[in-house]
Amino acid sequence: MSGAFKHLPIMMITLPMLGAALMPFVSYLRREAVPWVSALFLVVSGVLGLLLAGRIPPDGCVGYRLGGWEPPFGIELKVDFAGYFLMMVVCGISLLALLYSRLYIIREVEGGKITAYYVLFLLLSASMMGFVVTGDIFNLFVFMEILAISSYALVAVTGNRNAVRAAFKYLLMGAPSSIMVLLGIGLLYSATGTLNMADLAARVGETGYREVLIASFAVLVLAFMVKAAIFPLHLWLPDAHSIAPSPMSAMLSGLVVAVSAFAIARIAFSVFTVHSWGVVGTTLDALAAAGAAAVLFGGIMAIYQRDFKMMIAYSTISHMGYIVLGFTALNPEGLTGAVYHVLDHGIAKACLFLCAGNFIYRKGYRRIDQLKGAWREMPWTCFAFALAAWSVIGLPPSAGFISKWYLVYGNVKADRVPYAVVLLIGAILAAVYCFRIIYYMFFQPGEEGAWRDQVMDAPAGMLAPTWALSLATLFFGVFSYLFLDSLLKAAASLLA
Amino acid sequence: MKRLVSLLFIGALALLLLYVVSRMPPMGEPDNPTATRVVPRYLEKAEDETHTPNVVTGIILNYRGFDTMGEVTVIYCALAAVLAVLGRERRGRIRDYVELSGLPSSVIVRTMVALVVPFILLFSLYTIFHGETSPGGGFQGGAVIGASMIIFTTIYGLHLSSVKVPQRFRSPLEGSAVITFFLVGVLGFFGGGNFLTYAWPRVSEGLHPALVTWLTVLVEVGIGLGGAMVLISILFAMVREEGADEPLA
Amino acid sequence: MNLWHNFHYAVAMVLFCIGLYTVIMRRNIIKKIIGLNVMETSVFLFLVSIGYRKGGIAPIHGPGADPSRMVNPLPQALILTGIVVAVSVTALALSLVILLYRQFGTLDVSRLFREEEEEAG
Repeated sequence: MSGAFKHLPIMMITLPMLGAALMPFVSYLRREAVPWVSALFLVVSGVLGLLLAGRIPPDGCVGYRLGGWEPPFGIELKVDFAGYFLMMVVCGISLLALLYSRLYIIREVEGGKITAYYVLFLLLSASMMGFVVTGDIFNLFVFMEILAISSYALVAVTGNRNAVRAAFKYLLMGAPSSIMVLLGIGLLYSATGTLNMADLAARVGETGYREVLIASFAVLVLAFMVKAAIFPLHLWLPDAHSIAPSPMSAMLSGLVVAVSAFAIARIAFSVFTVHSWGVVGTTLDALAAAGAAAVLFGGIMAIYQRDFKMMIAYSTISHMGYIVLGFTALNPEGLTGAVYHVLDHGIAKACLFLCAGNFIYRKGYRRIDQLKGAWREMPWTCFAFALAAWSVIGLPPSAGFISKWYLVYGNVKADRVPYAVVLLIGAILAAVYCFRIIYYMFFQPGEEGAWRDQVMDAPAGMLAPTWALSLATLFFGVFSYLFLDSLLKAAASLLA
Repeated sequence: MKRLVSLLFIGALALLLLYVVSRMPPMGEPDNPTATRVVPRYLEKAEDETHTPNVVTGIILNYRGFDTMGEVTVIYCALAAVLAVLGRERRGRIRDYVELSGLPSSVIVRTMVALVVPFILLFSLYTIFHGETSPGGGFQGGAVIGASMIIFTTIYGLHLSSVKVPQRFRSPLEGSAVITFFLVGVLGFFGGGNFLTYAWPRVSEGLHPALVTWLTVLVEVGIGLGGAMVLISILFAMVREEGADEPLA
Repeated sequence: MNLWHNFHYAVAMVLFCIGLYTVIMRRNIIKKIIGLNVMETSVFLFLVSIGYRKGGIAPIHGPGADPSRMVNPLPQALILTGIVVAVSVTALALSLVILLYRQFGTLDVSRLFREEEEEAG
C-alpha cells in the first residue's frame, strides 16, 4: 500500500479525537450543531475506511510507523484484515448510535451536559478503533483507558441515582483491572525488554524467564476478563448496561465488551504466539471453561429478568461466552466465528437496545410484561426487534447464523464437542428469552390502556438507525460470503 | 467470614506475586533484557535523532509521541467525564465550599498566596520551556499551573478565581493539547513523512535540528496549556456548591 | 536469592495487595479510591524499578554524562502516561463520589447497596 492511502488508518483514529477536541468551539457557536458535527467526523472516518477496502491483504498486515520510527523503537499500527473489519464495525455502529442519540438524549440528559456526552461518544469510538489495530502493547493500554473512562462517565451521564451507583460499581471493578493490565505489561517488559507486539512475539520464545511470562499472561487475561465481563467477573455489567441511556447501552453492550474480548485473542495470538502454547494453552483452557459457564449462566439469567434492558444485558454476558469459546478453539474457523460474532452481536445487540430505547422514549415502559400488544401502536419498532432477535438466536438467514455456524464448526473441529453442545444450548436459551418477548409483542392482548390502537411509533430520526441495524443483520447474513474468505485467511495468518 | 476469605485470597495472591518476583531478572544488572533490548539506541542516538538532550522527553514526544497523544486525550476525556457527571459551572456569580465555610482565611495567608502565585506560574513556564533540556515538560508545567490555581481557589474562593480564568477563555483552550498534536501530526504528512514525523524528509538536512526543536516546543506548550486548563476546569466543576449557581442577593 | 535482591519489586507487589485489599474490603468509598491510588502507585514503583541501573545517572545528555551508565528512560516515559491516566480515573471517581454523596447522603458502601435491594424488592 503506497501513497496517501497508507495514512488512512491513523486518520480514521485521530479524526474523531480532533472532533472531540473541537466540540467546545462548535457548542459555543451553535449548540444545535453539535450532534451533526460529531456525526460528520464519524462519517468522514468511515469514508476513509471505505477507501481502504481491498487495499488490506487478507493474509498479511499493513504496518504504519508513527513518527517514522522503525518498529521496536517507535509505535506501530498493524492493520490486518480482522482489525480493519472490526474498525469498520465500530465506526458504523457508533455512527448509527450517535444519530439515534440526537433525539433520545435530550430527554434524559440536562442541556449543559450534552456537549460532554458527544465529546465522550467520539472519544469512545476513536479509542475502540485505535484499540483493535494498535501494534504496541502500551499503546493498547492507553486506548483501553480512554475507552474505560468514557464508558464509566457515559453510564452516569443521566445523573440518576441508580445510574451513578452503577457507574461507580463499574469503576470499582474496571479501574483495578486497568491497573492489572499495566502490571501485566510491566512483567512482560521486564522479561523481554520491548513493547512492540511483533517484537514481543519473537522474544517470548527465546527469553528464559518463563514464570514471569506465565504470570504476565494470567494477569492480562484476568484483567481483560473483567473488561469483557466474562462469567465470574461480570458483576458490573447488568446494572451498567441496563441503566445507561439506550444509545450508550447499545455502544457498551454491542462494542465495548466485545472489543475487550477480542483484545484477549490479540494478546494470546499476537504476543504469546505458538512458541509458548504450553504457557498459553492452560490459561486459555480455563478461559474456555469460563466462557462456557458464561453462555449458560447469561442465558438462564436472561430468561428470569423482568426488565427488558436487563434481559438484553444478560444476553450480552452469554454472547461474550460465545466469542471466548470461538477463539479458544485455536483454529481459523473458530477465530473467524469469533470475529464475525463481534460484528453480528454488535449489530443485533445495538438494535435491541435502540428498540428498547424507542419503547422508553415513547411510553416509558421498562418491564417485559408491559410489552404485551405493543405492535398495535409501535409496529416498526416491534418488527425491528423481531429481526434483531432472530439474529441473536442465530436462525438463518441472519448474520447470527453464520457466526454461530463457524463457532460450532470450529469447536467440533478442535475436538471440543461439549463446548459445541454448550453453544447450541445457548442458542436454545436465546430462543426462549427472545421468543417470549416476540410472543408478548405480537400475540398477546395488551393491558387496558397500555397501548393505543393507532400507530404512534418513535420519530423517524430514531427509527431510521434502528431499521438500518436490523436490516444490517440480514445483509451480513446473506452477503457473508463477501467477507468470510478474507476473514478465514486473516485468522489463519493471525494464528500462524 | 467475608473478611477471612478475602484475606486468604489476597494472601495467596501476594505469595504468588512474590514467587514471580523471585524469578524475575535481578534488578539493576546491566545485562537484563530491559537494558540490552531497544533502550541502548535511545540512550546513544536520542540526542542526534530527536535533538533533545533529555532522553525521557525525546521518548515521550518523539519516539512514542502517539502514546502522549493518547495521554492528552485521556486527560481531556477525564474533563469531559467530570463535566458529564457534575456539569460545568454557569457563568456569573458562583459559590463554593470555601465561601460557605464561614471561616475567613487570615490576612497573612491571603497576602502570601497573592505573592507566591506569580512565582509558581513563572516556575511552571520554566518547566514547560526547559522540558527538552532538563527534567520537566509540558504536562508537569501544566500540573504546576493547575496547582497554583488550587491554592488560589482554596484561599480566595471560586468566584474570584473564575474571574481570573474566565470560562470563555478556558473552554476553547481545553482541547488545545489534542489539537496541537493533531496539527503537528498532519504536518508530518506534508513534510513527506508519517503522522507525527518531526524530522520532515522534504526539509534540507541543515534545517532539521531547528525544525525538530521548534515542533517539540510547540507540542510542549500545547500540552502545558491544555493540561492546565483541563485541571482548572475539573477543579472548578468539583469545588462548586450544588444549587448555588443563582446570583447572590 | 533474587527475592532479596529484587526487594523493590517485592515491596511493589505487597503494596499492590494492600491496595487491592483496601478496594475490596473497606466500606468507605473514599478509602476505596485511596486503595486504587495505592495500587496504581505500586505499579509505578514496579515499573520505575525495572528501569533502575546500578550506579546509574539521569538520562539527560550533557557534559560528563555517559550514555552507557544512564538508567532506562523508557519506563519513566511510560509512567508519565500512567500517572496522567491515574489522575484522570481519580478525578472521575471523586466526581462520582460527590454525586453519590449528594444523592444518598452516605459514603458507606453497605448502606448504598442495602438501599438498592430495598428499591428492587
